Amino acid sequence: MREREFEPKILAFLCNWCSYAGADLAGVSRLQYPPNIRVIRVMCSGSVSLHHLLHAFQKGADGVLVAGCHIGDCHYLKGNYMTLKRVKFIEGLLRFAGYDPARLRLEWISAAEGIKFAEVVRDFTSRIQTLGPTPSFEAIPQYGRQETEVGSRTA
Amino acid sequence: MEDRRLKSEAGLHRMRSLFRLLSSSFVKDWVEMETKIKNLLEEGRVDGFWAYKTAHGFPVPWLFTNENAHELEPWQPTSARYPLLKLLLALSRQNPEKIYGILVRGCEERGLQELFKWSQLDRNKVIALGQACSEEMALYCECRQPYPDRLDYGRAVAPVSKNDRIEGLHAMEMDERLDWWRTHMNRCIRCHGCRDVCPVCFCTECSLQHPDLIPGTELPPDTSFHLVRAVHMGGRCIDCGLCEEVCPARIPLRSLYKEVNRLVEEIYGYTPGTEGAMSPFTFLGEELLLPQGPQ
Repeated sequence: MREREFEPKILAFLCNWCSYAGADLAGVSRLQYPPNIRVIRVMCSGSVSLHHLLHAFQKGADGVLVAGCHIGDCHYLKGNYMTLKRVKFIEGLLRFAGYDPARLRLEWISAAEGIKFAEVVRDFTSRIQTLGPTPSFEAIPQYGRQETEVGSRTA
Repeated sequence: MEDRRLKSEAGLHRMRSLFRLLSSSFVKDWVEMETKIKNLLEEGRVDGFWAYKTAHGFPVPWLFTNENAHELEPWQPTSARYPLLKLLLALSRQNPEKIYGILVRGCEERGLQELFKWSQLDRNKVIALGQACSEEMALYCECRQPYPDRLDYGRAVAPVSKNDRIEGLHAMEMDERLDWWRTHMNRCIRCHGCRDVCPVCFCTECSLQHPDLIPGTELPPDTSFHLVRAVHMGGRCIDCGLCEEVCPARIPLRSLYKEVNRLVEEIYGYTPGTEGAMSPFTFLGEELLLPQGPQ
């Protein structure tokens, strides 16, 4: 049997006011994008704590997408400034801990940008596909969740 | 009469210059610590003073009050480091109306600043006397300021700008670094010692004990245990290094937090422990560095 291609699991935190509506528009417009994305709707991208991002990786997400309103458009005025500040910081921390920060992506997607949403998901999925499964956050991988070969851990 | 007054003034002046001469050396500190703290206590400017006392040949943290002021010892350079701030914080929370004094090193003074800024301590309820660290300690800690701004005891040594701890790690490949961290972090026994000793960990509820974030059933905990803590140290860590010293598994935590500090400094230009600006991770932090308007 032909070995199946690695199908990454991507977790997306979409803000209620812009990006979720953007994703909705992508769906209503019947735009095609890979089904690897799992969406969590949050009220504001600024409410996504860095713990949530770490927790997502810890639970085996291969990529995490955080999307919010464009800077200046936040429903809560300054929420996305907070997101930007946090994500910039966590990227450096992930790199230092030995995790590829390319697995984390921050995008500004407005409610009118269904096309951009589909584009981002397509692009991000293919990037994660080339990166392979995320390394385990468990301190001793062999005793915890098995580190799997590319392809054997599919959804 | 006038002549005598002049003479006594001259004598006073001579005494003052002699005193100044003495004050430039350690001698003054040895003599003065007792009197300085005693004066503070006697004048009622502080209700208690946190300093060290020798017990069984070792310096231990001790709260001096008017009752046991006679037990005060002269200051001497020591490499003993205890979480005095933690003790001060606990006591101040119990007795918010009282004023306490504390003997601080450079790092502890930075910690005080952070605690003031995060409204954990009242600026008007703490009086700090500073002591300098020795050169060996400064080199070991790679400390950027091994002396407090207000220096009462000891002589300030030069700050150390090198940062060998994190430079070695930066030179590694990403995978190599992950393995390196794993070999250290898999020794963690989740004793929470790093948190308990940290002078700027003042929360009453802790994410490290959140059952969903850090499963409490596994040993060693995920590396995210340390990453979550590192996230909390962002814009807060004063680089005292007590976490690393207290760790029973000898995990090089200080390297992690030094990098956190470097990141915060590089991205936001913020240095914890300085007066004035708040941490960039407070909601109304510094936003000037970010692009304005829609992108």
